[in-house]
Parts: sequence; C-alpha cells; structure tokens
Amino acid sequence: MEQFFTLPYFILEVPQIKIKKPSWIKKPSAMMMFSIVLVSYFLVTGGIIYDVIVEPPSVGSTTDEHGHSRPVAFMPYRINGQYIMEGLASSFLFSMGGLGFIILDQLHNTSTNKLNRILIATVGFICVLVSFCTTWVFMRMKLPGYLQS
Amino acid sequence: MVQAGSKKASISKINTKAGISSLIIFVVLLLAWIAGFSSRLFAVIRFESIIHEFDPWFNYRATAYMVKHGFYNFLNWFDERAWYPLGRIVGGTVYPGLMLTSGSIHYVLHLLHINVHIRDICVFLAPVFSGLTSISTYLLTKELWSAGAGLFAACFIAIVPGYISRSVAGSYDNEGIAIFALQFTYYLWIKSVKTGSVFWAVAASLSYFYMVSAWGGYVFIINLIPLHVFVLLLMGRYSNRLFTSYTTFYILGLIFSMQIPFVGFQPIRTSEHMAAGGVFALMFAVGVLKYLQSMLSKTEFKSLVVFGGLIAAGVVFLAVVLLTYAGYVAPWSGRFYSLWDTGYAKIHIPIIASVSEHQPTTWFSFFFDLHILVATFPAGLWYTIKNINDERVFVVLYALSAVYFAGVMVRLMLTLTPVVCILSGVAFSGLLELFLREDDNNRVEDSEEDEQSTPSKRLYDKAGKVPKMKHEQTRDTDSIGPNLRSIVTVVILLLLMLFAVHCTWVTSNAYSSPSIVLASYGSDGSRQILDDFREAYFWLSQNTADYARVMSWWDYGYQIAGMANRTTLVDNNTWNNSHIALVGKAMSSNESAAYEIMTALDVDYVLVIFGGVIGYSGDDINKFLWMVRIAEGEHPKDIRESDYFTEHGEFRVDAEGSPTLLNCLMYKLSYYRFGELKLDYRSPAGFDRTRNAVIGNKDFQLTYLEEAYTTEHWLVRVYRVKKPEEFNRPRIPVANRVVKSSKYISKKNTKRKKGVIKNRPQIVKGKRLSSQKLK
Repeated sequence: MEQFFTLPYFILEVPQIKIKKPSWIKKPSAMMMFSIVLVSYFLVTGGIIYDVIVEPPSVGSTTDEHGHSRPVAFMPYRINGQYIMEGLASSFLFSMGGLGFIILDQLHNTSTNKLNRILIATVGFICVLVSFCTTWVFMRMKLPGYLQS
Repeated sequence: MVQAGSKKASISKINTKAGISSLIIFVVLLLAWIAGFSSRLFAVIRFESIIHEFDPWFNYRATAYMVKHGFYNFLNWFDERAWYPLGRIVGGTVYPGLMLTSGSIHYVLHLLHINVHIRDICVFLAPVFSGLTSISTYLLTKELWSAGAGLFAACFIAIVPGYISRSVAGSYDNEGIAIFALQFTYYLWIKSVKTGSVFWAVAASLSYFYMVSAWGGYVFIINLIPLHVFVLLLMGRYSNRLFTSYTTFYILGLIFSMQIPFVGFQPIRTSEHMAAGGVFALMFAVGVLKYLQSMLSKTEFKSLVVFGGLIAAGVVFLAVVLLTYAGYVAPWSGRFYSLWDTGYAKIHIPIIASVSEHQPTTWFSFFFDLHILVATFPAGLWYTIKNINDERVFVVLYALSAVYFAGVMVRLMLTLTPVVCILSGVAFSGLLELFLREDDNNRVEDSEEDEQSTPSKRLYDKAGKVPKMKHEQTRDTDSIGPNLRSIVTVVILLLLMLFAVHCTWVTSNAYSSPSIVLASYGSDGSRQILDDFREAYFWLSQNTADYARVMSWWDYGYQIAGMANRTTLVDNNTWNNSHIALVGKAMSSNESAAYEIMTALDVDYVLVIFGGVIGYSGDDINKFLWMVRIAEGEHPKDIRESDYFTEHGEFRVDAEGSPTLLNCLMYKLSYYRFGELKLDYRSPAGFDRTRNAVIGNKDFQLTYLEEAYTTEHWLVRVYRVKKPEEFNRPRIPVANRVVKSSKYISKKNTKRKKGVIKNRPQIVKGKRLSSQKLK
C-alpha cells in the first residue's frame, strides 16, 4: 500500500511548499450567520426583488383638489403593488418584531440585576408591540376594510 | 420491597405522564385537523360544492376521465379537444399523483359502498390533506426541535393563509397534496440523516416519488437536499450516516422519479437536476478521501481532504458545463432560469410574466399570508442557528432558499409557509417554555430526569433547557417574577389570538372565492350571486355543435373544456407559446386580419370576458396588454405594443385611446353594442365601470362575426364567426350602385322550345377550336 501512494514521487519531486488555509477563511460564528440571514430577510420581505423587476418610484404622488401634488407613501388598494419606501418601512417593522422576540428570550441568560432585566423586557415588549400595531395600521391604509365585516 | 415499590410507582408515574402527553398530542393534532378542515369550507358553505378557478377544472376533468376509463387509458389519453388542431397527449404531460390520489379514494369508498361522486372527492381532497400536512409538519418539527414546537407548527400550518390560499375546498390542484408530500419527504430525510438507516432513506425516496408524481415543485426537494448535504460537507460534518442516507435517497429517488411519464429522462438530462448528481459524486470523493485518511493517518491530510473535495467539485462542475455545452444536458428551462435572473421572464418570456401569481412579492403579501409569523420567523431562525446541528442546518437552508424564492414569485409563498410555521413553532415554544415554566422546582427536575432516562432523546438538546446551569435557572425563574411572566404570557396569547382572527378573516374574504361564481353585496348587505360563467358555458354546451371550436384567451381554456365540453385552441397548460401568440394576434389585430387567422384555425365561436358592466377587474381588456406582448414576441412585424398606448404612454379605452386599440378585435368584441347601454341614470351611456371611462368607440358594427350570446351581466360574451359565404358585404349607397341591366330577351316561346347555347363554338371542319378563340 505504501508503495502505491509513493509511486508518483519516484518521478515527481515534491515541491517544498506548505499549503495553508488562508487566515481569513474562518467558520462564521452563529451570530454572524444570523445577522446575514436577518439582513437578507429584511431585504426580501421589503420586496427588493419586486423593486428590481417592476421599478416602482420610491414614494408615489397624487394631485389633490387644488392641483398641488402631494406625496403618497402607500399605494392604496393595490395588494400586489408597492412603493420602495413603504416596503422598506414595513420590512423594518417585521425585523423589529423578530428582534423583539429575540430580546425577550435574552431575559433568562443574562445573570444581571433586576433593573437590566426590566429594561430588556421593556425593550422587547416595545419592539414587538410597536411593530405589530404599526403593521396593523399599515394594513388598514393598504386595505381599508381589513378585519372588518 | 420498598425500593421495588417506589420504582414501580415511578414507572407508572412515567407511564401516566407519557400517556397524558401523547393524549395531548393526539387531541391537539386532531383539533388542528378539524380546524384546518372547517376553515377551508367557506366557499362550500357560501356557494356550493364546486371546483374553483382554472387549473382545477382540468384536474377534475382528467380525474373524471380516469375514473371512467381506467388508469391505463388515462395514461394513453390523447385529448383532441384541447390545443386544436394540435391536440394534447394528456397522459404524458401531466403529474398524475393528484388524479391517482382522488381516484383511489373514490375506488376505496366505492368498494365500501359509500357512493360519493368524484366531484365531491375532488372538492374536499385539499382540506383533508391539510390535516395530513399539519401532522407531517408536527413530525418534522419534532425531529428538528421538540414536540411542543411541533404542536405549535402543526396548529400554525393548519390555519395559515399562505397555505389555505392553495388548499380551500374546491381548489383541486397539485399544490394541495404536494405540500403534504414535501413536508413528509423532509421529515423522512431528516429522520434518515439522524439515524443513517437505509430504511428511512428508502422511505424518503418513496415519499419523494409521490411528490414527483404530484407537483413540478419536486425540483425544490432535489436541489435542497443536495444543498443540505453539500453544506454539511463544507462544515466538516461528513459522517457515514450522511453517506448512507444520501446515496440511497439519490439513487432510488432518481429511478423512481424517472417512472413518471412527464418527468421521463429529465433527471439525468436537465440542468435543474445536475446539482444532485454533482453532490452524489462529491459524496463519493469525500468518502474515498476519508477512507484514505483513516488508512494513512497523517495530520496534513485534513487540509488535503478539503482541497481534494474542492477539486472533485470543480471536475464535476466542469463536466456538467461541458455536457451542457455539448448538448447532452439541457440548459435551465425558462421557468427556473427566471428564478435566478429575475428580469429574465419580463424580457423574454411574457407568457410566464403574464400570470399574476408569477409576479414578484410585495411586503403586503408576506404579512397578509403569514401575519405574526413573519416576525417570529427570524426569532425561530435565531434559536436554530444558536443551537445548530446536522438537521437544523437543513431547516436553515430551507428557510433561506424559500424566503428568496417567495420574494421572486407570489406563488412560491406556498413553499415558504411550511418553514415559517416550523420556525415560528420553535420560537413560540422557546418563549413559552421560558415564561410558562412553573416555579415549582421539583417538576422541573422531574422532567430533566425523564430526559435522562431516555437516552435517545438526550442526543439532541431540547429547546431552552441548558443543562449546565440547573441551579442558575431556578434562580433565574425566581427573578423573572410572576408579574412579568404573566404579562408576557398574556401578550403572547393575545398575539396568537389575533393571528387566528386574521387567518379566518383572510380565508373568508380573500381566498374563498370560487371565481366561477361571483358574489356581490348590496348596500343593505344583501347578496347577489353572479353566475354568468356557468350560464355561458352551459349555453355553449347546449346550443353549439359538438365539434365546435371556441377561441378564447388561454385562461378560460380549461373551463370551456371542463364545463362546456367544447374544443379549445389554447388553455392553461401554455406549452406552446406560438399557438398562444397566434390567438393573441387574432385578438389584437383588426377584424379582417383576425378573420384570416380565425378561418385558418377553424374557429367557430369566440368567447370574451367583459367586466365593464359589473366592475369585474379580471376581464380580458385588463389582460389585453399581455395578449399584445405575447403576440409581439412571435409576430413583431404585425403587432407592436406601442401602438396600443396613447402618445403619453397610457392605456385607455376612452375617446383618447389609440386608434389601433379602439379597432382591434378584443375591443370590438368586448364593447359591441355597449354604447347603447345606460347602466344607471347618472352615468352616460357606454360607461365602463371597471376602467371608469366612457368608451371611445361606441358605434360600430361587426362584419365577420355576430353576437351569439351575452350573459345576464354581460360578463361572458360569445360571438359566432361567420362562414365566408355569409358575411355582410360592405354596404354601398344607393346612388353608387351599378345594376347591370341585361339586354337579353329570351327567345324561347311556345313554338321553339329547343334551347340554344349562347356563344356556342361553331365547329368548322378542318379548323381548330382554339385558334378560333384567339381570333
């Protein structure tokens, strides 16, 4: 067996180099992976692919009864249409809600004092509730009859 | 004795605990099944037991054919009533799993003398399978995390709108059973990776076989599982378990998938499947290297393994590229290619881009289909990434790829939904395990003991239980405090309740419309049923010849074939782009040009959908630009999209619209005699409610077609194509008419009855007739 592997080296000379793993290749940490995932999630739920394909304006505009044009943040009544900013705003809220849940989970592995605990809980709560309520308001702007009738 | 007694008591205690927990699991799954089933019944209760939409009509028709004529006749079925004059080989162009499933249910029920009509089986198949989906989701999540998370996930997937949208009663489509097959295949795959047993791998490939027979989305599985294996290899998590399960799964899955006539040799011929083969080869390369490593036992070998693997991967990749270049392997088909290059479909394949469910997804759809789960999904992902192991790598990859694909196409929200449910189940169970745990320390330790007594469970760390700091944890739970604990619990429950409310509302309002029967609500809440589609199709089936060819846009092909039983030119199968483009060209050119196409295609009737009277937005005028685009793709000389816009680039049907639009066939067929109709007292005549405009071309006549039937609300209009001998010749004013007066007076009288032939050739002997004519 030994001869079999060393057979080529009767002819070839083994060069004196040492192949090293480049130092920058490292197994990414869990937190690193998660932030990459979260950022990509933020972009996709914000409809970045929609923005690339359809190329909507960042905010829409409408003319009111006096003939002035006013900016409109939300494309109303259109469930498969959006402006860029509206998508980003809502996907920011989604990610914030997700972070709120993660912060709430942090409650048990911080072995710190009571004040920190309360702070963490408050921040988590605010994140979850704000994101939920604001998204709900957004839904009402988008779809006026939402959760009625 | 005392010891034995206490042992016995503890065993019985464990038994009762296990009994209670399995009872809870059973009850929760049963309730999830019932809740999922009943929330999908809105359409049946409001309307009737009816097949929905477009594709289900074909599936229903094929199923009915299979039940009537048998499976082998179904496989050999050549449908000459579709794609006239080409016809369609149905057996070879269909995923037969759906028909087989409902056909076998029908067969079993009839064996038991339960005489259910095949239509009812088709209608209720998807809701029944949603229960099976929630069970397989439970099993998958249990393998990935814990039983509690599994129950959460099962409940979520039972009612989540993203899945309900494709599986309400009556929506008899491939996806309804395919999501079950998808989840079950993943469950068996995870199981086989965990155990490394050939049994589970074979089971996974059998389930994969069912998935291949059911839905084209099987490509997702055959790319995701190799991706999982590949990432595990990259992470240095190669093991013999992985080797056994993947090689078994790949070979058997390959052979099984090639048994489906529609798939055929695709798994070894097309690029979509090449990744799986590449990973298969890579697996062997890594296996050989690992074996050599064990033989050689050198320390440097580890880095060599990495490079050997990379070289093997490179060789495989190059081989695939070369084979593709040489033409042995088909390149990516347009449908899959458009998933990567998102602009591709928009430019090159309008027929894919024209389908509304192939549009890219907006934020609204994410929230609408997933609600609170859209926020808990990252949290669940965080839990899994934090405690990663072999099978959680899989769910992370599943999540990432599904999120991306869901962003590209609205339709693929369906593949995202199960993984969102799984990860949200993980998140909720993690949170609730933290906040709902009683302060009672004994019980905590009890459960820990349980864990330790079953060694198989100890291999996988449970959610939220960090074994090293048991004492710390008890102190922690004390310090969280009962107030905070109850507040968090209440808020979480409130969120879950709102989720259920949202799901029911969405199901009832958005996803339960059969779209065959429309309902409109008056101001006083009274309901009006608009049954125009079935009215028109019934008229077609009763009043036209059996062989009559009906031309319509491809959306309605399956419905015409299914309900009216008439020959169609194009239908929702969209396999022949040029044929569809021809129909699109006929619709978008003017009447005389369209007539040429229609006579060439032997069209007898033309059917258009017109929503201007009732304000129905999904009609043919709104789809018209896609017809123009598709026609332009094949006939760029005759049809140009820019002709149909005004100078300002607007698409409008009123007097300012472009003249090409106002004179094309689709416009005329939609608005024929619409100018005479006054809808109410305030609006002028010819007011289109869908587009909120008075139509531009009110007064026109049809030369080559005549109105055959218009339904009650004008929703469907059927026109008969006149035969060449019967159309009205163009009207000439009386003054310009030239009537040839003949000066011929008959010389016949009673005496001379013998007739004479006018200009009779006189035959002179010795002279030729033709020469006489020449003179």
